This record gives sequence, structure tokens and C-alpha cells, in this order.
Amino acid sequence: MFLLGFLTRRLAQGVVIVLLVTFLIFTLLRVIPGDPVRLMVGGMAPDTLVEEIAEEMGLRDPIPVQFARYLSGVVQGDLGQSFVRPASGAAVGGAAFDDATRGERAQVLTLITETAPYTIQLALLAMALALVVAVPIGVFAGLSPGRWPDRMALYLGSVFVSVPNFWLGIVLALVFSVQLGWLPAIGYENFAYTILPAIVLAVEIAPFIIRTLSVSVAQVMRESYIAAAAVRGLGQTRIIMAHALKNASVPLLNLLGVQFSLLLGGVLVVEFIFDYPGLGLLTINAVLQRDFPLIQGIAIVTSVAFVMINIFVDLLATMIDPRLEY
Amino acid sequence: MTDTPLLGVRGLTVEAGRAEAAPRILDDVSFSLQAKRILGVIGPGGSGKTTLAHALVNWLRPPLEVTSGEIRFRGEDILAMPSDRAARLRGKTIAYVGGDPQGAMNPTMHVGEQIIEKLRAVEPGVSYKEARERAVALLGAVHIPSPEQRFGEYPFQYSGGMMQRAMIVDALIANPELLIADSITQPLDVTVGAQILKLMRELSERFDTAILFISASLPTVADVADEVLVLEGGRVAECAPVDDVISRPRHAATRKLINELPKLWHRDGTTPVAATDKAQTVLSVQNVSRVYPIKNKSGLGKPKLLQAVRDVSFDIHAGENFGVVGESGCGKSTLMRLLTALEKPDTGHIVFDGEDVFGRGRAGTRRFRREVQLVLQDPFGSLPPQSSIGEIISEPLVIHGEGDRRRRRARALDMMGEVGLDKSLYESLPTRLTAGQRQRVNVARAMILEPRLMIMDETLSALDQTEQSRLIDLFERLQAQHGFTYLFISHDIALVRRVCARIAVMYLGEVVELAANERLFFDPGHPYSKALLSAAPTLEDRRYRPEDCLLEGEPPSPIDLPPGCAFASRCPSAHDRCREVNPPPVYRGEHDRAACHLLQPEPVAS
Ligand SMILES: Nc1ncnc2c1ncn2[C@@H]1O[C@H](COP(=O)(O)OP(=O)(O)OP(=O)(O)O)[C@@H](O)[C@H]1O
Ligand code: SF4
Ligand SMILES: [Mg+2]
Repeated sequence: MFLLGFLTRRLAQGVVIVLLVTFLIFTLLRVIPGDPVRLMVGGMAPDTLVEEIAEEMGLRDPIPVQFARYLSGVVQGDLGQSFVRPASGAAVGGAAFDDATRGERAQVLTLITETAPYTIQLALLAMALALVVAVPIGVFAGLSPGRWPDRMALYLGSVFVSVPNFWLGIVLALVFSVQLGWLPAIGYENFAYTILPAIVLAVEIAPFIIRTLSVSVAQVMRESYIAAAAVRGLGQTRIIMAHALKNASVPLLNLLGVQFSLLLGGVLVVEFIFDYPGLGLLTINAVLQRDFPLIQGIAIVTSVAFVMINIFVDLLATMIDPRLEY
Repeated sequence: MTDTPLLGVRGLTVEAGRAEAAPRILDDVSFSLQAKRILGVIGPGGSGKTTLAHALVNWLRPPLEVTSGEIRFRGEDILAMPSDRAARLRGKTIAYVGGDPQGAMNPTMHVGEQIIEKLRAVEPGVSYKEARERAVALLGAVHIPSPEQRFGEYPFQYSGGMMQRAMIVDALIANPELLIADSITQPLDVTVGAQILKLMRELSERFDTAILFISASLPTVADVADEVLVLEGGRVAECAPVDDVISRPRHAATRKLINELPKLWHRDGTTPVAATDKAQTVLSVQNVSRVYPIKNKSGLGKPKLLQAVRDVSFDIHAGENFGVVGESGCGKSTLMRLLTALEKPDTGHIVFDGEDVFGRGRAGTRRFRREVQLVLQDPFGSLPPQSSIGEIISEPLVIHGEGDRRRRRARALDMMGEVGLDKSLYESLPTRLTAGQRQRVNVARAMILEPRLMIMDETLSALDQTEQSRLIDLFERLQAQHGFTYLFISHDIALVRRVCARIAVMYLGEVVELAANERLFFDPGHPYSKALLSAAPTLEDRRYRPEDCLLEGEPPSPIDLPPGCAFASRCPSAHDRCREVNPPPVYRGEHDRAACHLLQPEPVAS
């Protein structure tokens, strides 16, 4: 009963959020300067042709009309077609205004579903690496507040936080790829290509995990039921594993939800440096090419992902701490 | 073998640190406890009772440590044992229950699971199934209703009294030989505390457990213990059988404890009397109700209603002390928020000085905020730690834009003098003050605007008897000088007996009885009033025997109340009509009234 009510309410909220995001992006894209049709047909094409194509694509209709048309497509699972990308692959050159390839422009949905797995893979690996390093450090720090593990965690965190990701990316690529030749860096051919960018991202996320965990573990360890557990006869290992860590994990869960959403939405810099063919790179190119349908499609998909992750995290949190069921 | 006591403590000394000048918290404490006996430990606040309990279960936290002495359990010194052996005694052979039941269990795990976890930690051979059976059986034995269902609930779904029972189950489930119970009734309502005491007696007989029963209240200890040990300043003042301690106290500390006990049925002509009819009505509460909608858990469906205050009416006359008593959750604090205009009632009127509190203009509201002042319970939370005491006391003058700096300082110093705070404290921070001093700061701060009505919401609850008595004397003196009217909101029936002329008894949001002090204590009309009186801790001969009046269970939830008398679920005299019709107030004389079907109206004596 709780679950049903919770899901209904949160999904309804989610739909509203996604609609708002879509509308905002849609309007913004249409009011900022720069005509996508001009980019499509190239600088040499006559103005009349530009107008003609724009009319034909419906780009001169009032914004609400365009939006309504777009939405009706979206609810049927049709995110439209890319302005510039042919179904076959690389972006269309600017000079090709003879329009022969119009019919074969790529479906936005296809572009996203082809790219997203790379980003998800990158995000998951980065998350896993970050957790493997940060969880023991954070827990250890939280168990001995003010003493050396805590201080060490603090220093390590500060160092990680202050490393710029583009710099780290370049250094890692130079060392491991160019000099040692252990790992590939640019593009994507197999799983190994994910490792270096994932390390860069993990370094970015780890300090947040360390900090959150050490604070929440230290806080839980000060709770009276932890002290009382020892007097009740429970062993120290059991107290930490079964009680302290479980209750300390709720703030971590929230943090992971936010971080994962951010990773999905745009690891722009890192994907750009490593030329990693994920959603980030797709976004950058779409923006550079003023590929409106693609930008919108990415925005919708990432905001849906954001909403779902949030719901999932909150659901998990109430399962750990039932007091959160309000 | 028979000569060795179960627990023998010799020369136990606990100090806060190893330094030469380290304070001694326990000083040369010696006593012994035989198997299956109950030894009570009493002493004023800070006398070292909790420290003693913690030392016995090896739970002293730095800087506290045992610097000399021995604790022999069955002849073997616990302090000299290898630490893993001592650890195995904890929870298994020596169990502990403290005064903070809500904080004693993990809030995110079922209560039952935690009891099982504990049992299996100290008795690894027990199967899950057997542990569960034992836990459910014991939960039933301590009178937790429907234990099977309660087993799978979380601590926050338990009331304080139920949680305390669960902690007792947790302590007893491994059949310990010694149970250390520190202030276990302190956080509970008196009627629930009385049930727990009864339970302790039953359990010690049934399970043959020796109990070290610690409490600050002599009547409570006298109720359960065979022998009493009196602690005073960390030393043993005396140790003797209960009756001897009460009838022939040998030590000054014991006599002091006995003398300070409030007398409920002692007539010495000092009972506060009600103001005459001609006295002006300061505050008039007329049919006031407050309902809170409670959001449904899933967020769907229509919200339930929590009726916090229901149709409450009374008048407070100038110069008269009015008391509101009732147990936790009866709506006292909601009433306080309504009376101080922090919240608006849903129905009814609150009239101060002839004018509706919520119908006043700006100037009227401002005047109201000056003339009605509130002093709250928690002396530790309510003072801002960064401001000096002088600043805190003179702050209301600043808020109301009064006087210049020099005059405000003079006023604040005056107030400090009046409430008995040393003027040299003006510049100090409140962190170093004792609980009593902090409460004086709060009183001075409330008085500085020269209010007409002071509302004391559990103001004295956190203080020990001595400090309470001093503050009550102070209140009386201030009243004589400034003509304040006091409204005391309290769960402490002995306190209202001592200071209030008229008393309203609240139960589940309603005033079930309103009577003059003498009448309420010598001839209560409502069964709930009788139950409260029978449960009050006292050494006097009780006028109302717990066997006749003591309640079972706890107040039902104020959400979705059933029709009829709200007290019917616990009332020893409930009958069919009570479950259908809510009894209207019945007047017993001109001013006193109680709401119970059993009462007959009494004509007004002319
Ligand atoms: N960690 C500590 N460091 C220094 N002094 C302490 C410490 N803990 C307690 N004390 C002091 O030891 C004395 C005894 O404290 P304890 O808590 O044992 O008293 P108590 O008899 O249980 O009081 P209460 O009735 O208020 O529960 C008090 O003066 C207290 O201030
Ligand atoms: S009305 Fe009935 S249930 Fe209520 S107090 Fe009186 S006898 Fe008890
Ligand atoms: Mg104590």
C-alpha cells in the first residue's frame, strides 16, 4: 500500500519535472541566436532555400505549436530525427545542400540508445572504482574520528578534489598510454578503453564518498544504541557491521544517486578528452552543430534517468530506515 | 559457598582521570548483594548512582576510571579478569537496563529481531526459532499487548513504556543472575512507571534474578527493594533494610531525602486556596480545540485527524496559581502553544484581560506578548551558549525597544538579584551554570518585562527536589512582590499539590476534572484523577490503593478516537454507556466539575 502510493506520487512528480525540463530546453533552443537550417544547408545556399527548408520542417510555426507536435511524437516513443546526422554514421558536411540524404537522417532515439550503453558502462566502472577505494577509507576514518585515519582521509580527499580532471586525464593518458603502453586512451574499441576515463571520474567522486561516509559513520557511532549494544552483550564486529554501517549508509546512498545521475547526464570534459563515444560526446557535438532534436532527446532521456534514480534511491533509503516513510 | 554473595563490592573508587586533583565520583563504596534479592540505591542527582551502575557493567567512559577497589561476582573480581571473560559476563550473566529506553535500540531494526540478535550473541547455541519463541513469550510476560505483532515493529512505533518493557525483556531473556536497573521509571508517566515497578517485583520472583535497583526517588525504591543503599556525594551514607531506612534514618543525607519528599495528603494549612469570586479573570479559555491533520503514509486518501486539545474551558483568576496536570501526550504542550498565541485554536476563544487574544490589533498583540511570559522545561537547551547571562536576561527589553543600554543593564542586574543569581555572573556564559541556575536565568528573563501571567511549562521537571523547593519559594516571593499569576503545566502531581489553588486534570486532550486543590486530593471525582493519585510516588499511606485504581495499559492514540468516554479503554469502572456517550461535565458544587457518568451533580452550597 505504501509502495503503491509512493510510486504513484513520485512518478507523477517525475512526469511534471520531465515536462518542464523539455519545455524549457525546447524554448531556449528556439530563442537563442543561430539558425540550424543555415548550418545544415551551408553558408553558400540562397536565403530562399533556407526559408523553404525551414517552412517544410515546421521551424517557422509558433513555438507552442512546434512543442505540441514534438510532444505528441515523444509520447509515442518518437524523439524525431537528427538535423545533421545521417543514419549511416558521421555528421553530414555543411555544403551538401542538395538534400539527397534527407530521408536517411538518423533517428534521435537510435543515436541515444546506441551511445548510452557506453556512458552507463563508464559510469558504473567509475562508481565501482570510487567505492572500492573510498568506502574502506571513509569507514575507517569514521570509526576513529580525530585520529590518524581520519586525518589521512581528509588530506587524501583534499588532494583528489583539487586535481583538475582535464589535467589528470591528460597525464594519465600520457603515462599509461603513450609512455607505458598499458592501456588505450583515445576512442573506443573494447572494454579497456573505459578504464582510464573511469579512473579520472573515480578520483573526482571518491572524496565526496569518503567525506559523507566518515561523517555519517562517526555520527552513528556516537548514538546511544551503539554504546548500549556493547552492554547488551553484542560483539564489536557485529555492532559495526550490522548496526553502524547499515544506518550510516543512507546519506551515502543519496550521494551515490546524485553522483550517478551527474555521470549519466554529462561527463562532457572527460569524454571529450578521451574521445569516448558516450552521451557526453554526443551532447557536445549536438550543441556545436545546433542539432535541436538531438539536444532535446538527450535532455529528456537524462532527466527521465534522473527521476528514476531518485525514486529508486529514496525507496532503498526507506527500506533501510523505515522512519523516512512519511 | 553460601557465604559468598552474588555481588560483593569493596572499596570501589572511581575518579575522573588519574591526576592528583581529579574529582572522586565514587569514594570507597562497599556493599554486597545476595542472589535473588533486590537492593535499592538512592541518592540525590549527581551522587554517583549512574557511575556505580556503569562501573558494575564495565561501561565507564574516559575520563572516568576505577582507581581502586574490587567488584566480586560470585567471589571473582571482575576488574581483574581477562577482558574477554569479563565481556562474556556482560549481557549474559549481568544485564543492564537504563533510563533511556528509546535510545537503547537501533531505530532501523525490528525490536524483536534485536532481542533475538542479543540472545544469540550471548548464547550462541540457541536456534533462531527457539530465540523467537522465547522472545515472544517474554514480551507477553511483560504485558506487551499482541506480542506476535509487536515483535515485528520498530522502536519508534513503541511508546516509552512499551520500549522500557522491551528493554527489560532484552535484559532478562538470557536469564541473567544480576540485573542492574538504573532509573528505569524516570522517563515514564507515573501510571506507566507504577506498572513497571509491579512488573519488576513479579519478574524477580519468577526468574530468581537479583536486582540492583537505582532511582532518585525513595518511594519508588521502597516499593521494590528489600534493602536500600543511600549514596551521597559518591560515598555510602547508609545501607539498611527498607523499613529501617524510612522509620529510623541514621544519616543526615537520608533524613534530608525523606524530609524533602512532597506530602500529598498532609494537611498543614498551607494548601494554596482559590481566589475569591470577585477576583478579576486574567485568562479565560472557552471551548478551545486544536486538531492536527496527520498525512497518510502513502500520501493518498484523506488525512486522519489527531485531536490534540478537545473542548477545553477554564478561567484563571488574578493572583491565583492554576495547575494543568496530565501524562505525556495528553495535550499539555499544545495547550501551552495555544495559550501563548504561538498557534491558533481551531474552535473556541482565548480571552486575556477581557480581549480575545486573536482579535487584537498590533498594539494589543504586542501588549499580550509582554504580559504573558513563558518559562520552559529544558534548562540546557533553551539558553544561547554564545551570549552572556546579562545579555540573555536583558534581551526581551531590546526586543521591545526599551530603555538605553545603561538602564537595561541596571534592570537585568536587579532581576538577577531578585532570582538569586550572583551579580558577578553578568558577563559569564551560561555553559558553566547548574540546571537550577539556568532555570533562574530563564525566570529572570521572563520577569524583566513585568508580565501579569507566567506560564511554567514543566519548568521544574528537570531539577532535583532541593532545587525545586528553592525555586518554588522564589516563585512565591516574587508573586507576593509583583502580583504575578502563575499557570503551572506539569506531569508532577506532587508539584501542583504544593503550589496550585485550582487544578485541571487532562486526559487525551480533554479536561476530565477541574477542582480546587483540597477537593481534588481528598475527594477526586474522576477515576483517572484517582489513578494518578494512586500512582504518585509517596511514602505516605495512600488514600487510593493502587490495587483498586491502578491502570493497565497506556492511553490510546489521539488519532481517530472512538466515540464515548476517552478513558473507557483503561477505566476500572467503565460500563456500556461509557463506550457510547462522552460524559458531559458534572458540576460538583459551584466551581468544581468532572466528566464521568458515575457522578451526580451536587447542589451549590448557599
Ligand atoms: N565523564 C565525567 N567526567 C567528570 N565528571 C563526571 C563525568 N561523568 C559524571 N561526572 C560527575 O560524576 C558525578 C556523579 O554522576 P552520576 O551521573 O553518576 O550521578 P547520578 O547519581 O546518576 O545522578 P542523576 O540522579 O542525575 O542520574 C556528578 O557530579 C557528575 O557531574
Ligand atoms: S465515564 Fe465511564 S469510562 Fe469514563 S471515567 Fe467515567 S466510568 Fe470511566
Ligand atoms: Mg543517573
